[in-house]
Amino acid sequence: MMNTTVADQLVAGYLARLDAALSDLPAARREELLEQVREHIATARAELGDEAGEAQIRTLLDRLGDPATIAAEAGERPAEPTPARPGWREIGALVLLPIGGIVIPVIGWFIGVALLWSSDHWSARSKLIGTLVVPGGLALPLALGSFATWTEHCSSNPEPLGGARESVCTGGPPGWWEILGPVTFGLLLLAPIATVIYLGLQLRRGPSIAPAMS
Amino acid sequence: MHHMVEGPRTALLAQLRRGTLEYCVLALLDGGERYGLDLVRQLGQVEGMMTSEGTVYPLLSRLRRDGLVATTWRESPSGPPRRYYQLTSDGRQALDAFAKEWASFRDAVDHFLDAGGDHDEHDRG
Repeated sequence: MMNTTVADQLVAGYLARLDAALSDLPAARREELLEQVREHIATARAELGDEAGEAQIRTLLDRLGDPATIAAEAGERPAEPTPARPGWREIGALVLLPIGGIVIPVIGWFIGVALLWSSDHWSARSKLIGTLVVPGGLALPLALGSFATWTEHCSSNPEPLGGARESVCTGGPPGWWEILGPVTFGLLLLAPIATVIYLGLQLRRGPSIAPAMS
Repeated sequence: MHHMVEGPRTALLAQLRRGTLEYCVLALLDGGERYGLDLVRQLGQVEGMMTSEGTVYPLLSRLRRDGLVATTWRESPSGPPRRYYQLTSDGRQALDAFAKEWASFRDAVDHFLDAGGDHDEHDRG
């Protein structure tokens, strides 16, 4: 049949609607799907023979289904956005937060905080933890440690008449500091390291998307 | 004439089909290569296997991209040349793995479906 029949028009219309529905797909996949469906229709029409009427073509297209449904099925597993890899910003934050304040006193830590907050790899919660545990990073316990060295003055009173030698010390640390001091110091030392490990693990997990099933 | 009533049953079937229909396709190809229309008709013989015939083609493309299915063009005895779909060795492996998982999964579901009645008796007894 040389003339464009109603059946041909129906098929062309269907394929045009499918083509439009698939517009979000990459060209190669779109073309493949159109080819498959075109072939499906051509094969079915060849089997129906020349007497295939309008009604039979409508049934054929109806069974193929709404182009939107086919497009939805085709788009079911879209190309996954590849999460941006951690860059210099994240590495800089991880280095400067703990030791920045030591390398460049005070300022180094603030640079670390700026890098931390400008990165989009961490949640606001992680950023708060990174900032507050511990402000200054390792520079804080080191600074406290040097301030807290008390200068102790001890003087011994010689007792010539057989009494016990008695030494009197003044200016030493208060009694509670003997126990609490090292504990606090230890915690302040460990906390920034724990924070860096935590932030590092968050990076590895990244804005994760379940891997595609294959 | 092929429209399904939208509703809980449709949603349930869609959930069940997700992840299983592709293995039904692989299983159909395990018996030998088939062309698109042939595959679609085989699937269509069992009610509830697909939303509409056209939705099988995106699935076939995906299986081809994943290397589970290969395609070849060939002249057909009647009508236009056809694209034949064959199972690859990766496809066969995937099918075998699924068949094992499916058997134990089906048994697990059956276990709970069948155990439903017993539970009530224990509670009341």
